[in-house]
Amino acid sequence: MVGAYVLCVEWARTLLATQPRVAIAALIVGGAALGLVAVGWPADRLGLGTSRFGLRIIGGLALGAVLLLPAAARSGAAPILPAGLAMAAVAVSVGEELAFRGALYAALDELGGAPLAIAGSTVLWTAAHALSHPPEFLGAVAAAGLLLAVWRWACRDLVAPVIGHVIADLAL
Amino acid sequence: MALAVIAYIVAAWMVAPGFYDGFGPQQPYNWTCPPPQAGANQKPTSGHVDIKVIGGVSDANSAFTNDAQIVLGFLPGAFDATGKTSISVDVTPLSTCPHPPGIMFVTNVYLVTASAPLVKPAHVVMLYSNLMAAPSAIYQAADPAGPWKSIGANRDAMPYTITTTTSSLGYFASGYLQTSAASGSLRVGGGQVLPIVVAILIVIVLLAGIPLAVLRRRRPSGEVEEDEDEAKS
Repeated sequence: MVGAYVLCVEWARTLLATQPRVAIAALIVGGAALGLVAVGWPADRLGLGTSRFGLRIIGGLALGAVLLLPAAARSGAAPILPAGLAMAAVAVSVGEELAFRGALYAALDELGGAPLAIAGSTVLWTAAHALSHPPEFLGAVAAAGLLLAVWRWACRDLVAPVIGHVIADLAL
Repeated sequence: MALAVIAYIVAAWMVAPGFYDGFGPQQPYNWTCPPPQAGANQKPTSGHVDIKVIGGVSDANSAFTNDAQIVLGFLPGAFDATGKTSISVDVTPLSTCPHPPGIMFVTNVYLVTASAPLVKPAHVVMLYSNLMAAPSAIYQAADPAGPWKSIGANRDAMPYTITTTTSSLGYFASGYLQTSAASGSLRVGGGQVLPIVVAILIVIVLLAGIPLAVLRRRRPSGEVEEDEDEAKS
């Protein structure tokens, strides 16, 4: 149920975002709709919390650096996002993390443990990006999802994936 | 986690740089063959310029399409103007989309012709869309069926543009090698430093992740995790 909802929201916001007049609104509302999935879950089940917060932030910065490395090493110039799109990028990043590595991960973890949570959240994450990305990019998208899910499992933390994802989306 | 980092770096390196999360500002582009993710599309336009010949030397000028998706800049004396009073240059988008083996084009293919041969390099600027991966080079051919050769790319181009110089006219398109998408690699002293950078990043992630993972998982059975304590308090 959670997976179907998340997929529907992702595909809907992707299709709406192709219309220039409603693109930013679709992205922000889409991000918020994704975040709604996490409502009702205890913060600790989502991997959110304030303990060892410094380590979580450092982890987020490190994840952001890793996500950016392949593009940063090869791009001569980076586009600068307008403020509206930067807000949309933050909304989508946070919403996606709350949905995929937060609620969906927690639901799958309850259902079948960590292996199912990691694999299932990665597969749905990749499927969710099938409409917005050319096929040749989906391998990289899947690998990014796997990396964030493995972090979520190993550190029981969602703060670092949120930070890393926001950094990557703002820069990519 | 290190394996996940390596897997991501390898997977991301196998595709052209610029993969995005689907929210970037859509760069308008008029496609000959629009990709599935493109919305409404207008056909690309052509362009024409007549370059004056002054004192037997062709003037400086630019040829571009009306939608400015390709611009060629010519220096004074760029053409062999012997016996001519002006030189006409035409830029026309190809109505088909060639798929040469091993190369992925991310722009339309344009045919650039002139009424006199080019004798000085011309500057080429091509616009591309962020709906596709960023190109790593501009390719040129005398025939759309090929063979296509890379004429390179300058690294300091503006966003969504790729530039280079060409010593001859013909067909132009931007793209990347499907087997190796790199538009440039990090090199220091003749050797690639990427493995070193990757190793450093792996160490950073592990340094950040291991303490967190150990702290959050090292607890005797029955002891409640700190966040759970926080949640219950």
